[in-house]
Amino acid sequence: MLVEIRNVSKTYETDGTRIPVLENINFTVEDNDFICIVGPSGCGKSTLLRIIIGLEKPASGEVLFKGKVIAPDNPKVAMVFQNFALFPWLTVRENIELVLESKVLHEKEREGMACKYIKAVGLDGFERVYPRELSGGMKQRVGFARALAVEPVLLCMDEPFSSLDALTAQNLKDELLMLWADKNMPPDAVIMVTHNVEEAVYMANRIIVLSPRPGKIVADLRVELERPRNRKDPEFYRWVDKVYSLIV
Amino acid sequence: MIFPKTTISEIIGLLEAINDAGGVEDAARLAADFDLELDEILPSIEGAELLGFVITTDGNIELTEDARKLLNASIQERKKIIRNKVAGVEIIKELRNELMQSDEHRMSKEDALKFIQRRIPSSDTESYFRIIINWTRHAGLIGYSSDSEEICLMSKR
Ligand SMILES: Nc1ncnc2c1ncn2[C@@H]1O[C@H](COP(=O)(O)OP(=O)(O)OP(=O)(O)O)[C@@H](O)[C@H]1O
Ligand SMILES: [Mg+2]
Repeated sequence: MLVEIRNVSKTYETDGTRIPVLENINFTVEDNDFICIVGPSGCGKSTLLRIIIGLEKPASGEVLFKGKVIAPDNPKVAMVFQNFALFPWLTVRENIELVLESKVLHEKEREGMACKYIKAVGLDGFERVYPRELSGGMKQRVGFARALAVEPVLLCMDEPFSSLDALTAQNLKDELLMLWADKNMPPDAVIMVTHNVEEAVYMANRIIVLSPRPGKIVADLRVELERPRNRKDPEFYRWVDKVYSLIV
Repeated sequence: MIFPKTTISEIIGLLEAINDAGGVEDAARLAADFDLELDEILPSIEGAELLGFVITTDGNIELTEDARKLLNASIQERKKIIRNKVAGVEIIKELRNELMQSDEHRMSKEDALKFIQRRIPSSDTESYFRIIINWTRHAGLIGYSSDSEEICLMSKR
């Protein structure tokens, strides 16, 4: 068991009113899980992900990473963001090396690791380019390389494809699955938040459906579809319908 | 000539969708699948055609053998295939020749814009420049440094 989410609840306070956002969330993440968390807008998906990586504290309950309470600077957890979150004044390589600074002490070693993951995502040739010159697809490849470079056990992603155009998103989903299928590559498990059910059925081997706010788990499904998956397959559609019916 | 305003990533995404549809698909259906208008997806279809990844007949888009090879390849192998394909695009071939003959295999952005303007007359040369550089960087052929505002041949590794 990699991560254990135990009785996690969360409440926000705005203008003196307490708004419950998450209610009693329980699940565990195992090696080789590719979990997609889906649910209606505002149900607390992003909040849950921030709690899982230790960026935010739950009101009650706890998140354990390999049996210990998760810390926000856990080196074995990496995050990919919807808006890429790159530093505009740093090149591709510098953006990646930056996250290694606190983890890898030797400069040469940092360079080597950055190069390895730049190559893995197909960004070789872009090392010295600034983010402003990159297309959205290339920016998110930097996001992937940066996350993988710390060789995380758990990779968390919040809507990583939703600011890309549809065709680029398709390409990146497939490339991410190729990296995932490569057993020599980190991570051991993925948790991805998405509001796109089709995307969840395409990517995940496990889908967790949250209810409208306050988010509660309404279903935790194993997606038994063979890979590579085909969106035109009737069986694929049945899964999409099934998950939709749980959300509405 | 007109250079399709699309990226290599979009082209590969398109090929993946055609593959899912069994290797041939109607352009309008493809657009609908991606929630795009037909004219939003056309540049990617043209790009795929320019690179020899699809053949279009009467609105039907069919994958070529090279496209199948690409889709079955790893990320690094894909880059090699893309490199060969992009190297064969006429305007890029000419630009590389020009660079090969120039001092230190470099050219100012200004000259590159003129070069493009001569071949693709438009009021939008800057965006063609960006697109062509997107392709040639992806292919590892021609890079651009925004610090020195120069394009240059990328070394073969
Ligand atoms: N820092 C905060 N302070 C107060 N309320 C917040 C805060 N962050 C989030 N919320 C509220 O908590 C609820 C859940 O937010 P969250 O962003 O986790 O939802 P989500 O499922 O990710 O939504 P979306 O689908 O729009 O991304 C929302 O109603 C939001 O307005
Ligand atoms: Mg969110």
